[in-house]
Amino acid sequence: MVTNLATAAPALVSPGLDLELSFTQALQGLGLSPQVAHLIWLPLPMALVLVAAIVGVLVTVWLERKISAAAQQRIGPEYAGPLGVLQPMADGLKLLVKEDVIPARADGLLFTLGPVLVLVPVILSWLIVPFGQNLLISNVGVGIFLWISLSSIQPIGLLMSGYASNNKYSLLGGLRAAAQSISYEIPLALSVLAVVMMSNSLSTVDIVDQQNGAGVLSWNVWRQPVGFLIFWICALAECERLPFDLPEAEEELVAGYQTEYAGMKFALFYLGSYINLVLSALLVSVLYLGGWGFPIPVEWLAGWLGQSVDAPVVQVITASVGIVMTVLKAYLLVFLAILLRWTTPRVRIDQLLDLGWKFLLPLSLANLLITAALKLVFPSAFGG
Amino acid sequence: MFGFLKKVADYTRDAVDAANYLGQGLSVTFDHLRRRPITVQYPYEKLIPSERYRGRIHYEFDKCIACEVCVRVCPINLPVVDWVMNKETKKKELRNYSIDFGVCIFCGNCVEYCPTNCLSMTEEYELAAFDRHSLNYDNVALGRLPTSVTTDPSVQPLRELAYLPAGVMDPHGVPADQPRAGQLPAQVLEQLQANAAAGDEGESIENAPVGDKANG
Repeated sequence: MVTNLATAAPALVSPGLDLELSFTQALQGLGLSPQVAHLIWLPLPMALVLVAAIVGVLVTVWLERKISAAAQQRIGPEYAGPLGVLQPMADGLKLLVKEDVIPARADGLLFTLGPVLVLVPVILSWLIVPFGQNLLISNVGVGIFLWISLSSIQPIGLLMSGYASNNKYSLLGGLRAAAQSISYEIPLALSVLAVVMMSNSLSTVDIVDQQNGAGVLSWNVWRQPVGFLIFWICALAECERLPFDLPEAEEELVAGYQTEYAGMKFALFYLGSYINLVLSALLVSVLYLGGWGFPIPVEWLAGWLGQSVDAPVVQVITASVGIVMTVLKAYLLVFLAILLRWTTPRVRIDQLLDLGWKFLLPLSLANLLITAALKLVFPSAFGG
Repeated sequence: MFGFLKKVADYTRDAVDAANYLGQGLSVTFDHLRRRPITVQYPYEKLIPSERYRGRIHYEFDKCIACEVCVRVCPINLPVVDWVMNKETKKKELRNYSIDFGVCIFCGNCVEYCPTNCLSMTEEYELAAFDRHSLNYDNVALGRLPTSVTTDPSVQPLRELAYLPAGVMDPHGVPADQPRAGQLPAQVLEQLQANAAAGDEGESIENAPVGDKANG
């Protein structure tokens, strides 16, 4: 599970708040064996992250509706709770109690499996999102690569539901979704590769650590501006958000692969797309905007205030600041995505594929090569 | 060689332009976030219809002389005037009058031409019904007066933009006694007459060019 930096790599970086260590030690203090203590600890971060993902989605849905309303001089949801904050809950509840319809001529098994295959990889990807030095479920060594490979499962689910619906709009939507995901995965992976090359690690924790030497100045966005833009565009395309929402372009395809879905199965798609948006925003902030790092390193601040970084109070404050910073950066990006939604017109399918294959792919390849060259020439600045 | 370089340069310029336009668009959208909503929360808040609003037609049965002018000026001859000739008095006797508001286009020609002013436009516009036949109003229904937005206790009346004080954009919370921007025709007339009177008394007052013009 969680790589324990306090024991594995002592002294190099401050371990920060390690909740697992404290928790298991406390349980061992009660007389439990380390294995049992670990077993009791295991479900806690998973449940926490699942709750965090769901709450993140509810907040995003609310923000989307309120910001969309503000951009159009409307009020937006207002009656469900103060300022309509309970509106996403009401939506979810409605979908939960709606009848679960499987069309008579549809392939029932694939029809049910599709939304699951879309949602599960997205939730699984939250495994690697760090909110602090030790505040993630699993610091797997192949972290960011795991996310890329998980996100390529998604088009299979989309294609599956598109095919199983036995509806021409669904099929076209599913095919478009698959084409889109495949063509934007490559520039996405290449721009991630440039970051990985600079930080010499696929682990998200290492990538963030390497960015937080000098606060805001050492964030990857300054060394990878092109990669940042490519990654953001590709992430939007992967999330099927405007201007890349062709798979569910309602003017052409009714609702694409979602056409035949209702009730909870539709809710799974809905949930999946919003979790994916939040996840993409979180990963952009992890890869390019310093993750949990405060614009001025917290270690410096603690030093100026004459506090030890290892003091319990400082550790708690550091962890809280880390979580707040990660979430703040992610939600600023979500805001940008919503703003983009009301700014840009939808691209055509040929424009979409042109942009992916003829523009972003060569650009990200060039970006990767230039990064490699810079790494060889200036090893100190580009992570030699 | 140079052709290729030119192509690359053009392509780059296009890409930069596209990014530039995207930035412009984003700034426009961002700027719109500052503008406040102008929402009128309809069943709870209603705009006060303007004074020349052409709503549902009101009809006074007793004033009507059954001349059928309203039918003739109506683009589709809509009003139904049901009268019989009383042979003894040699006068028309009106029995029924009806207008179908499912068909009426609210052009107001009948109101314009009615010789006895028995027709008038009201400010009622909520005519939705479950059955289209219930939109065919007879003389009793036509004679009912609508509830005014300003007197309905369950409705918060809001003034339309043109009726708000100068510089005010949001009708919420504007006091009812605050006058609208500019002057009403009646007020303009009053001003003219006052100026004319002042001009007659002493020619020295030159501050009202409109008044002078009125003097001829």
